[in-house]
Amino acid sequence: MSALRLAGVTAGYDGGTVLHDVHLDCPEGTVTCMIGPNGAGKSTVLRVITGLLGADAGRVTLGGTDLGALPPEGVLRAGVAMVPQSQALFPHMTVRENVLMGGYLIRRDRALVKARYAAVADLIPIVAARAGDPAGNLSGGQRRMVEVARCLMLEPRVLLFDEPSVGLDPRSLAAVTGLIERLHADGRTLLLVEQNVRLGLRLATHAVVMESGRVLMHGPAEEIAGHPQIADLYLGGRAAVPAGQASEAAERRDDG
Amino acid sequence: MQFLQAVIIGLLIGGVYALMASGLTLIFGVLRVINIAHGALLVLAATMTWLLWRETGVDPILAAVATTPVMLGLGWLIHRGVITRLPQGSPAMTVLATFGLALIIEGVLNVTVGNIFRSATPDYFAQSFRVGGLALPKPHVYGFAAAVVVLGGLYLVLTRTWTGRAIRATAQNPAGAALVGVSGAGTAALAFAIGTATTGVGGSVLSVLYPFYPASHYDWIARLLGIIVLGGLGSLPGALVGAVVLGLAETLTATYGSLQWSTLVFYIVIMVVLLVRPQGLFGTRLREDALA
Repeated sequence: MSALRLAGVTAGYDGGTVLHDVHLDCPEGTVTCMIGPNGAGKSTVLRVITGLLGADAGRVTLGGTDLGALPPEGVLRAGVAMVPQSQALFPHMTVRENVLMGGYLIRRDRALVKARYAAVADLIPIVAARAGDPAGNLSGGQRRMVEVARCLMLEPRVLLFDEPSVGLDPRSLAAVTGLIERLHADGRTLLLVEQNVRLGLRLATHAVVMESGRVLMHGPAEEIAGHPQIADLYLGGRAAVPAGQASEAAERRDDG
Repeated sequence: MQFLQAVIIGLLIGGVYALMASGLTLIFGVLRVINIAHGALLVLAATMTWLLWRETGVDPILAAVATTPVMLGLGWLIHRGVITRLPQGSPAMTVLATFGLALIIEGVLNVTVGNIFRSATPDYFAQSFRVGGLALPKPHVYGFAAAVVVLGGLYLVLTRTWTGRAIRATAQNPAGAALVGVSGAGTAALAFAIGTATTGVGGSVLSVLYPFYPASHYDWIARLLGIIVLGGLGSLPGALVGAVVLGLAETLTATYGSLQWSTLVFYIVIMVVLLVRPQGLFGTRLREDALA
């Protein structure tokens, strides 16, 4: 069953249209990775889903519920949370307070907030280990773990990750990818945007390739990873693409 | 004994200064707006208190119960009518606009109640509590008590309630606060209104402790800005410490030096502190990438 679905979404800013007729389907319990060069519209897709940017046409639905008319807070309430690329924590608040703030929308139910916090601290050990420290004094990798912990306070149906690997050293990266794998194993639905295509495709069950605001390809992650064009463009399959093949690839892209 | 007397008076005055500066630093922390009109709002509240006291005979400090809701509403209106209409992230514009607002308030007071010195003088005005060999002026003690109530309440709200945590979260990372469902616009309006509401109590205390006239807001805003710069802009504990330093510096200089030098000493302290700690006493230093 489909959890998150974009159907024919067209969206953009004052300067012009960025997304053209984008279709995206994230089945329940899957990890979808969106790949594509800078400017392909991946972050814009996330902005449309989270309600920061309204779609000019098309529908965004979560389990059949239309998200299009909702403000960002409504989307969050409906069950879509995001771990952004840039710093999202409150640096002068403690790790504990930061994670608790994730439960802001369920603040009326104190028992629920308490129970969720306990569950999150159990899943992500850094939360308990550094509970009393200011979040601003954590390392980049630790902060990303706390950001995920904060999102989990709402038990979102879909979790969005914008470039989870960016700026992390190998050990922190291993911790974050381990957490993503764990979330998948727990049956959560994830949508990643990832510049590190090899990593993204390894974590994902499904993949979407975007270019110039259009979906170029979509399918199971292994299939995309094995596609010759993807191997060429993103995985360094060949050092250089001969001129003839490159134009051929461009033509095929236009068909897609 | 003279020293102890001076220190205690300095602490009492420091508490009152902290009350007056708390709203200014709260507003800066959440909205990044330096509200130059804060001093004028204090003088406005003091004038309202004075009128209430003269017309009804009500205790001027207790009159804060009536003036505080008025200032809360006025704060909300100023935020709605002035602050939200300014370009985002332009400190220069907020300084200019709120300075204009201060001039308007000063002008309106000049026209309506006149450009003369006033002071509320309830019957305890010149009385003191005698403790040991010390004389504690009653207005200072009551003013300090009012400050403790307001600052304590503010502290509890900011640390123990979801609303307070939302205010602090917005101050520290507006984008992050939006991600967890905190309304930035609503929080900013609330912080501005609460910050302005503190001038209700602050103005009441001012009306008893200090003679004032419409243009005295220049003296007050200079002092209050000094306090929050010394403490670290946006930090409430910092404002408290900055205020106590100012209170002690003024009182001790007046006791052992001369009255003329008492305010200057405070600004010398500010300069020295800023040379050593440019972020102010309580502006915490975090890893430089904390909010990159």
